Formats: sequence, structure tokens, C-alpha cells
Amino acid sequence: MEQQKSPVLSRRAFLGAMAATGVVVACGTTPSTSPSGSAKPATLSGTVTVSYPDELGAKPKYVEKAAADLKAKYSGVDVKIDLQKISSDDYYTKLLLALSGGGDVPDVIHVGGDRIGELADAGYIEPLDKYVAQWEDWKNYPQAVKDGVSYQGKVWAVPYGLDMRWLYIRRDVMDKAGLGADWTPKNVDDILIAAKAVKDKNAAPIPYALYAGVGASTGTANHSFVPLVWAYGGDIIDKTSGKWIGDSPAVRKTLDYYQRAYSGGLTPKEILTTTKPWTSMREKEGNGQLALLFEGGWVYGGWQSANKTETEKNVHYVLHPTLSAGPSFTIGGPGTVWYVTAKSKNKDAAWAFIAQWNNKDTVAKLNIEDPHPVARSDSADVAEFKAQPYLVDSTKALEKARFIPTDANYGKVIDAIQKATGRVAAGEMSPVDAAKRYTDDLKQAIGADKVITQ
Amino acid sequence: MGTAVGAGAIRPRSTAASALRRNSAYLAGLSPAAILLTLFFIGPSMWALYTSFTNKALVGIDAARPRFVGLDNYQRLVSDPDFATVVLNSIVFVVGSAVIGQFVLGLLLALLLDHSERRRYRFGTVAYAAVLLAWVNPTVIAGFLWVAMYDFYYGSLNTGLGLFGLGPVDWLGRFPMLAVIIGNIWRGTAFTMLIFLGALKTIPSDIYEAARVDGANTWRRFWDHTLPSLRPIAALALLSITMSTFGTFILIQTLTNGGPGSQTEVIALYAFHEAFRSYEIGYGSTIAVVMLLLNVAFAIVYLRWSRARA
Repeated sequence: MEQQKSPVLSRRAFLGAMAATGVVVACGTTPSTSPSGSAKPATLSGTVTVSYPDELGAKPKYVEKAAADLKAKYSGVDVKIDLQKISSDDYYTKLLLALSGGGDVPDVIHVGGDRIGELADAGYIEPLDKYVAQWEDWKNYPQAVKDGVSYQGKVWAVPYGLDMRWLYIRRDVMDKAGLGADWTPKNVDDILIAAKAVKDKNAAPIPYALYAGVGASTGTANHSFVPLVWAYGGDIIDKTSGKWIGDSPAVRKTLDYYQRAYSGGLTPKEILTTTKPWTSMREKEGNGQLALLFEGGWVYGGWQSANKTETEKNVHYVLHPTLSAGPSFTIGGPGTVWYVTAKSKNKDAAWAFIAQWNNKDTVAKLNIEDPHPVARSDSADVAEFKAQPYLVDSTKALEKARFIPTDANYGKVIDAIQKATGRVAAGEMSPVDAAKRYTDDLKQAIGADKVITQ
Repeated sequence: MGTAVGAGAIRPRSTAASALRRNSAYLAGLSPAAILLTLFFIGPSMWALYTSFTNKALVGIDAARPRFVGLDNYQRLVSDPDFATVVLNSIVFVVGSAVIGQFVLGLLLALLLDHSERRRYRFGTVAYAAVLLAWVNPTVIAGFLWVAMYDFYYGSLNTGLGLFGLGPVDWLGRFPMLAVIIGNIWRGTAFTMLIFLGALKTIPSDIYEAARVDGANTWRRFWDHTLPSLRPIAALALLSITMSTFGTFILIQTLTNGGPGSQTEVIALYAFHEAFRSYEIGYGSTIAVVMLLLNVAFAIVYLRWSRARA
């Protein structure tokens, strides 16, 4: 991606340089936060507030462990943990209101890595370059992973578990539908053909779940629309110019695919009227009431822990097909990551928490519990991680992953995608009209000069 | 006379001061309400009005440096094709669930209950409690109760239809607006019922007895006596339910989240989605300001109507 220098960033770079040379230290408030000179501040003190959402229940013990280890390492540091037992969407909104307000904010926050651009542009988060430059473990991160958390030439976060997605297929349902238990799609349209067979043979109550509309949140984009646009040979952003692509042959084909899925009764309309449709869709894929679902790799872990044998026997996972080929690619992402807030009064200690959390062992163990490919390559060598065939497959699948570049406007593009898919799925617009409106919506949201059509 | 001249010279000031003194008890009594209204209503409204002229956002460059954009947001709203849909949806929702549903049903229920009380039917109390129960539920709970009713796979309606070998029907997918209207009528009818029930109690029984002696039948008694006595309170009830229905979105959010597509997206939900899902606070505020203006327009129409007839 092209790196643009905005005035804000050059000023920040300037301040960074000032801080590095120790000029700012003279007027600094906390003596412990001197970042100058040595590889690591000799001592840290003060309180670090760590805020994160968790509904699954896997993370708290690792957060507590990182906090305890940090306190053991620096006697002057105290860690205050603010666990929010709400969905990550609700957490994000709540966090943004706090960050945009005038009050105190947490030092460390936990948000999806795809938000880097919009958070950095808003001035909410702190670049971590000076920290990672002195962090020995940083060499264990592949360049692609580093690129995934870079924006405008700076590193903003350290990922631990990467996102990837699978097309999940129920073997038992496929068998019942007469397609054979080992069925895999020969191309992207083959998914709809199989879904039709499931419907005709009444092999499962729901043939296929294709996310559309607002309720499915980012899933509408990352688990449905974007991989389909790629499958049809298009893209959502032009990587050379950095401009977003509105109406294009691939977008029209994708929306046509939506129309076939929804008007043919292959996908339930409840996806369009539920706030978090993925909750019930994941559950139904796990118990065989749903035949086909393209979803996050981490979802498999939920089924596995509920019923390991049944899941391994009946849930088949493959890559996303394309227009002319079977399982071919997946969509990757940096996963949920920790950031240091720009308003933090104790950034060095905040970074120390992040570095502590991202140790080789925690990264391996948490990603076994909440299955994601590991972000640091040495964690993949941990014996327990290697013993999980599913995780080995997911990590290997990343070689075939395509990523959405970090861009401040992706959040707004997701809104436009939700509207376009919702309109077609609800039968309000034809794919061609919805594709035109998609261009208009993009232009309205991010500016006409940043949108092209093909 | 000298005193009179002197008094005349200082009259304006003295009148204002004495008016202030005379009304000091009222003013003192009013001030807590005035302060609270300023803090929690006028203040935020002014803030929304100001924000509607900016491009303030919660994320991105506009969050770091919001700019004054004049009437841009209003121009965008006028040319926003979704906005027309959303306004139309709001009108259907308000007319269906508030004006027709809650108002008419509330009036009918109040008449029935009043009748049963005058006749001392015991069943009336049970019905009264049942209607109130729907109202005391938090809106989110009411929403989930209706989800449990409409759900395609597990909903009570489809389970009921299944007993007769019918269905299943995708209620929320096929009849989304009707579904949310019914849910809102169920939830909100108690309010109008209570207001009308209170008003009915103020009508003395001897009016009806006199009418009966004059040979007026039930319908005439209702038309000539009951309805005119209810008119002032009817305007008030209609105003308050219209405004509250216009501003509500929690029930819709729980039931359909505005979907499918934008078929149940009402203006309040649209403002919420723009402000807190798309994080465009400036544009969301613009929608909120337009909502406020529409509510003021409703208030003026209703109050005029009630004054003209009262």
C-alpha cells in the first residue's frame, strides 16, 4: 500500500524523534516513562488499566497471568483489569465514546486488527515502532503478519492469533442429500447447487447461511461478500491506487449470487432480521441443522469442545472455491489485537503488558483453546499446538490467504456492503441496481475521489 | 398626588420587581424542573443541533479534527434515498401501532373495563392486570417475548400452526412491519387504556341515567356524552403516544433490527445506526434534529386540535 505522509503523522514522528533524543523528558510528568537510550526502561511504575471484551471465557486467565507476571517483574507496576462481558461490537462502540470524550481512558485496549486505520486516523492509538524495534521477540513474526498491523508505515499493534475462514460442510447432510459425504464444491456456484440439493431432499432445515445486512456485522463483509467478490475474480479495493471499487462485474456477480441464495429459499431470511445471526447459524452448523457455512476458523473450536468425535466425523472444512476452481483461498486478518491508547499516561508500562501477553507460550495455549493460527512462528513449534491437526491445517491455510489492506475507510465500506447485500437479500433491489447504489453509498461515505468503478 | 406621580415614574420597574416578588414561590417551585429540563433536554438538543452542522465522527480523521460543514448534512439527508423509505416506515409504524392500534384499542379496553367496573364484574380486574403486565415489561424483554412468538424454527406461532399441519410461516421475513406493529401495540396499549380509564371515571353516572331516561340507546349515549368528555384527554393521549412511538426503536431493534433490508428501519433506528454503527455522529445528529422538528410539528397540530374542540 502506498504510504502517505499526513501533517498529523509527521508531527507525531517529530514528537517521537524529540522524545527519543530526550528533549521531551524535561517536561514529562512521570519520571518512569523515559523511553530514551537503553533497550528497555530500567524500571516501570504506576497503574496500567487493561480493558477487553470477552464472551467466550478463554481469555481472562491469560490476561490475569500476564498481569501477575508483569507485577512480579516490576514491583512498582499495578495492573487494573477491566473485563467487559459484552459482544465485541458493543465494546467497540462503548470504547469509542470513551476515547472521543474528554475523560480518562484505559491504557491498553483490545479491538479487531481491521480497525487500525480508523483508530490511528482518529488519533486514539499510539504507534509501537520504538517498542517493537527494541523487542527481541519481534523477529519471530513473519513479515506478512507485521504488514497486517502496519498502517501509514507504522506498526500499531501486536497480533497473537490470526483470523482465517473455512467453508464448513456437514458430511452427514451431504450424504443424505445424495451428494456423498466427501462432497466439495467444484467452483463457487457449486455451493448453491449443493444447497439446492439439500433443500430438495430436505436433508437439513437450512441448506446454506450467507450473511447479509446490518445484523451480521462485519461477518457480512468478511465471511460472505468479500470472499465472493474475490471468487468472481474482482476485488473491493484497487491496491495500486488505494481506491475502493464500487460497481464492477465481480460485485454484480456476487450480488446475483446473493439473490439466488435468498430468493431460492436456500438461506433463511432470519439472517436479515436478527441482531447476531451468527450465534444461531454456528450452533445449527454444529448440530447438523445447517449444511453449508463459510465462517471463522475459531468457530470449529466451539463445536469441538461441545462434541469432539461428532465434530471431527461430520464437519468437513475446505477453502473457498472460485469461479473456475474448487477450494482455493481463504480470507485472513490480524485477529483481535492489543493497542496502547494515545491518551495513556503510562505507555511504557502499557507496552510492557502487551509484550508480556504475547509470549510464546500464551500465544500457543490460547490459540489452542480459541483456535486461531498463531501469529508468532515459534509458537507453532510448541508441542501441544503441533498436536492439533485442525490448528496445523488452519496455519497451513494461511499460505493461501488473501488480506484486506489496513485502511481507515474499511469500516465505512463494510456499512455500504451491509446495505447492498441487505437490499438484494430482502428482494428490494436487483443485483444490478444494488451494485449501482453500492457505488453511490461508497462515494457518499468516503468521498467520490476515493471510489472507482470497473 | 405627588406619590401618584412618583409611583407612575417608577411603575415599570416596580411592576416587574413586584411581579417577581409575588411569583417568587412559583418560580422557586419551577426552578428544579427548569434546571433539569435545561440540563437533560435543552442542553443535549442544542448540542445535537450544533453537531448536525459538523462532520463529527467517532473514528477516522473526522474524529480527530471535526469540521464545521454548514448545511452539508441536511443536503445529504434530503438527497439520501434511504431517508424517504425511513420516513415512510416511521409513518406506517406510528399510524399503525400508535394511532390505530394503541389509541383505538386502549379506548376500547378502557370502555370495557369501565363498564365491567360499573357493573362490578370480577373478570375485569384480571383483564386489567393482563394488559398492565405487558406494559410493565422492559421493552427489550417485550421484544424477546415477541421473538419467541415469531421465530421461524421455535416460535409459538409456528408451533401452533404445526399442530394443525400448517406453516411454518416466516413472520419476520414476510410481514416485518406488521409484526413489529403488533408487538408495539401489545406493549403500549396499557398507557392509553390507563389515561382513558381515568377520564371515564370523571364522567358522573347521573349523566348516563338522565340520557337513559330520555330514551338514548347505548350508541347515542357513547356518541353524545362519553366521547365529548374524553376529547381533551384524547388529544393528550394521542400526542404522547405519537411522540413516544416516533422516538422508539428498541422493540424494532430486538425484533428485526430494521430488516429485512430496510423494511422496518424507522427514523429513530436510522439515527442510531448512523451515529453508533457507522459512527457518523454529525449525520446521526442531523437525523435527530429533523426528528425533533417533526415532533414539534405533531405537538402543534394536536394541541391546536384539542383546543379547537375542547
